Amino acid sequence: MKLELTINGRVHSVEIDPGEMLLDVLRRLGYKSVRRSCNSASCGNCTVLMDGKPILSCTTFAARAMGHNIETVESLSEDGKLHDIQESLLETGGAQCGFCIPGFVLTTKALLEENPEPTEKEIREALNGNLCRCTGYESQIKAVLNITRKRGGHVNE
Amino acid sequence: MSFKVLLPESEDELMTMLMYDNAELMAGGTDLLVRIRAGKVKPDKVISLAKIPDMDEIVDKGDRIRIGCKVTHAMALNSEIVQRNSPIMVLALREIGSPQIRNRGTIAGNIVNASPAGDSLVPLYLSNARVIIHGPKGERKLPIEEFIKGPGKTALSMGEYLRAVDFEKTGDWYPVFHKVGQRTALAIAIASLGMLIKKDKIRIVFGSVAPTVVRAYKAERFYERVNGDITVMDEFLERCLEYLSPIDDVRASAWYRKEVIKNLLKRTFDSWRKRVL
Ligand SMILES: Cc1cc2nc3c(=O)[nH]c(=O)nc-3n(C[C@H](O)[C@H](O)[C@H](O)COP(=O)(O)OP(=O)(O)OC[C@H]3O[C@@H](n4cnc5c(N)ncnc54)[C@H](O)[C@@H]3O)c2cc1C
Ligand code: FES
Ligand code: FES
Repeated sequence: MKLELTINGRVHSVEIDPGEMLLDVLRRLGYKSVRRSCNSASCGNCTVLMDGKPILSCTTFAARAMGHNIETVESLSEDGKLHDIQESLLETGGAQCGFCIPGFVLTTKALLEENPEPTEKEIREALNGNLCRCTGYESQIKAVLNITRKRGGHVNE
Repeated sequence: MSFKVLLPESEDELMTMLMYDNAELMAGGTDLLVRIRAGKVKPDKVISLAKIPDMDEIVDKGDRIRIGCKVTHAMALNSEIVQRNSPIMVLALREIGSPQIRNRGTIAGNIVNASPAGDSLVPLYLSNARVIIHGPKGERKLPIEEFIKGPGKTALSMGEYLRAVDFEKTGDWYPVFHKVGQRTALAIAIASLGMLIKKDKIRIVFGSVAPTVVRAYKAERFYERVNGDITVMDEFLERCLEYLSPIDDVRASAWYRKEVIKNLLKRTFDSWRKRVL
């Protein structure tokens, strides 16, 4: 079937199989920031934003994305300049191998849009579906707290 | 993994498709697609609810709230009707999976899964929920306890689907929800406990310690008989523990599950007493 997908504001017209997952279609279109690891809704690495909300692309039919805005990390850094979430992760060492980072960045973006001054507890809750094999999470949580601080928000520690 | 995806656009169309051989209904897919990936089910057809309009209602029905079968955990959590009238539902839904899972998974899917660890089932059992079933013969309603028959087993018959669920408002009860898992995130409960407490009345529900979620009616009656004065904690505990038939599995031993429930009960009453006194 033919499908129109809006990804990072750009409309793509793609031929898909009705059973195809959004993850496969995104990677086929070149959005390689969207990572596959567990392929079964457990690790959060394949997270993308659908209308601003984090969802798992490995277990969402591509057809389901029709009429919605899909956002991947490719949209974040303009002209090679990193987004402040990405910057902050680099500063705290929250990005090691980097595999989990795209999903992590998008989930954080959605959190901060909904709640610009999250507490540490709220950050942990929001990010508990994004698994990381490298960091032990502390540096990632710290990165998020730092973003709030840098954006001029109040940090409740 | 090869199956056809069907996208009915009306409930009539859906009912016809539900009569097909080897077809599975899908709401959010957070369970079904995982089971398909694991090779546990091999449907030829997956019938998605995505294109059927009007199944995501959250309605104030006076003393009850009705929730349509496409309502996700996140939608219910964000609903003012639910927040105001069912704090116990809010406590339980917050513990489900992660934001990604809550944005996709539905309460109806959680019910039809019929897992003893289903987190939304605890508040539903506590709130005398009724399941509204649509099928070829029209509509029928069942108390949730009659709808869920065992792990993964429900009272749905061929061609039927869960259209909605309604449950009592319980805003005037003190709500308690505890879930013990192996880690805070994405964990299936090892044991869970939900309660609604008033001075002389109580409702008690356990998850993950029997083949289905269970409600401890005898303990509830005991509490009423003694007017909530459970200085004889042991007698009360005994009546609670009658309902537990936990299993040993990879996640925890039966003994551990029982101890967890006992301790959670004691802890809850300690904080309740402090509140009342
Ligand atoms: C990583 C992860 C973490 C999870 N964490 C939790 C957790 O903490 N607590 C918890 O309780 N669950 C958890 N789950 C399980 C799951 O997300 C929930 O059970 C969810 O509510 C299922 O809803 P769904 O819409 O995705 O169901 P689906 O996968 O779409 O469907 C589940 C089952 O219900 C049937 N079904 C769905 N809707 C209907 C209907 N209207 N009528 C008839 N049958 C229907 C389907 O045929 C299928 O058999 C988790 C799952 C994953 C992958
Ligand atoms: S690849 Fe989708 S959650 Fe792991
Ligand atoms: S940085 Fe390596 S998995 Fe998270």
